[in-house]
Amino acid sequence: MLESLQHLAAGFGIATTAQNLFYCLMGAIVGTLVGVLPGLGPIAGIALLIPVTFGLNPTSAVIMLSGIYYGAMYGGSTTSILLNVPGETASCITCIDGYQMAQRGKAGKALAICAIGSFMAGTIGIFGLVFLAPPLAEAALAFGPAEYFSLMVFGFIVLSNVTGGSLLKSLLMAVVGLIIGTIGLDPVSGEARFSFDSTALLGGIEFVAVAIGLFGIGEVLTNVGQPADLLESTVTIPRLKDLFPSWEDLKKSFGAILRGAGLGFGIGLVPGPAPVLATYASYMVERKVSDHPEEFGKGAIEGVAGPESANNAACQSAFIPLFALGIPFAPPTAILLGALLIHGVTPGPMMISEHPALFWGVIASMYIGNFILLLLNLPFVPFFANILRIPKKILLPLIMLFCLTGMYTVNNSMFDIWMMILFGAIGFLMRKRAYEAAPLLLALVLGPKLEVAFRQALMISHGSFSVFFQRPISLVFILATFIFLLYPILRIGIRRIRGRN
Amino acid sequence: MMKRDNLIDGLVLFLFGLLTSVFSLKMPVGNFRAAGSGLFPLCLGLLLMGLSLLFILITLGGKTKPAETPVGTVEKSESSGRILPFLGLLVLITQFFNTLGYPLASFLLMVGLLWILGTRQWIVNLLLSLVTAIGSYFLFVHWLKIPLPKGFLGL
Repeated sequence: MLESLQHLAAGFGIATTAQNLFYCLMGAIVGTLVGVLPGLGPIAGIALLIPVTFGLNPTSAVIMLSGIYYGAMYGGSTTSILLNVPGETASCITCIDGYQMAQRGKAGKALAICAIGSFMAGTIGIFGLVFLAPPLAEAALAFGPAEYFSLMVFGFIVLSNVTGGSLLKSLLMAVVGLIIGTIGLDPVSGEARFSFDSTALLGGIEFVAVAIGLFGIGEVLTNVGQPADLLESTVTIPRLKDLFPSWEDLKKSFGAILRGAGLGFGIGLVPGPAPVLATYASYMVERKVSDHPEEFGKGAIEGVAGPESANNAACQSAFIPLFALGIPFAPPTAILLGALLIHGVTPGPMMISEHPALFWGVIASMYIGNFILLLLNLPFVPFFANILRIPKKILLPLIMLFCLTGMYTVNNSMFDIWMMILFGAIGFLMRKRAYEAAPLLLALVLGPKLEVAFRQALMISHGSFSVFFQRPISLVFILATFIFLLYPILRIGIRRIRGRN
Repeated sequence: MMKRDNLIDGLVLFLFGLLTSVFSLKMPVGNFRAAGSGLFPLCLGLLLMGLSLLFILITLGGKTKPAETPVGTVEKSESSGRILPFLGLLVLITQFFNTLGYPLASFLLMVGLLWILGTRQWIVNLLLSLVTAIGSYFLFVHWLKIPLPKGFLGL
């Protein structure tokens, strides 16, 4: 431990040079902007800026590119809170309570708690990274296809009911999301599925189009249908004392931030869209442990603090498999792997010994980057909160243009815009009928990976389903799934028996 | 009213599951040992049919409940008088997005949407639309260097 601290101190010496501080700042600013704009995600941001780093030394290059990744996590929450449009895929859950806080004049508090929570979680994540990297990376390798499938099934069942509505309706939406996820190319054999001879459908349905459509456009259409006098109004204008969290808000959020950081850090080690999973899991946990679960969905600050912290912590821990094993578990870290290879650095078990300056310099820069993001975001809270002073009849067309443009920037595809509009109409109908969008989105993200894990596991076992029950980790998740499904029925049965007695 | 809505929803979802299953059977299904591309969608289609049947049965057998409040939104009374023109304009502009080019399309979209939502003073409407179109054009095309359709104006 002492040796790690010494290395970390050396890393701070490298990260605090004028050059590296500048690149860290640039990465954080670009990342925040990328996160705010719907459509542009950290992958696009990192990929666009790789050529800019060709002239830099590897340490400075990775510092800047890493800054884009966690900067995007900060920025993605801004439009989620203010406009109910997720700026980044992992910010979808923040829409639920963050937007409700904004509607009640507490946009500033929501934005501030996101920045504070992300900073604290990022700090915890970095220390976890320093001290737990090698052993945790080894544990992640114990997950094979069967374990991964069982984990995702458990995750689906548990996380589909993230907002506590009807479980059956949530499962219906999850299955619809899984079906939509099968459109395009079969991830195993590469055959076309449900493409109906359309080249556009061969690429599948873009997740961002569905997310912006269901959350953003759906909300816009719901507002458009309001009586005319409500369109003239603004959201409750935030008062000065509502621009920042009170001591009471910070006390409420503290536990959520710590739990979110722990959850996010652990989930970030699992292959797949870890930040998305982490936010769903954190929201679920906060709703379960809260003394007032009925407040969730109506502007509970824990529903913002927890998921945003989990998001940022997952982003940090995603670097563990990348640096320690040379295996990127998340798409943004895959792009970072490419950047490292371009600069002549091969991540893996030997990276720490062969490139100690880069490894410890990047880790130290993450802490500095989180601090920079906190300083950047907090002063802008009043500015962002005052966007809500714009009357809705002007704000809604602006949001519409914002979504249209952002969607086009993803793939320069008109098909994506059509999908966004279609899912916007579907999202509007879903709101009218009280169906949740979150399970559908989760299923769309996880569906292809669930299918790959399922088919791989069965190939390995020659078609035998016993593989899911014979492997211990997989069995644990299967049992947990059954317990979760049967528990409500058992609870009703026990209550009836007690009632008779 | 809610019961009728739930029955319609259940039926729509059942049909969606049925269509998925039917189209899946047109692909190679294989078996669990060597799954074809159609196996997973077939399983999902059947699962959706089963869940939606369960939903219909629960709706038919259950007591009438008060309408559920959609999660994450404040309940409001609605007017569909603006929704259809709003959507219609969006579809129209999208259809001609490449032909018009981004600056003109964004300008016309803003003019139309602002008018539909009640900004009827033409000077205010045109000024807001112009500023938005020009501002977003410079932000995306010149500052962020993101390629957007140029249209017949070539901007």
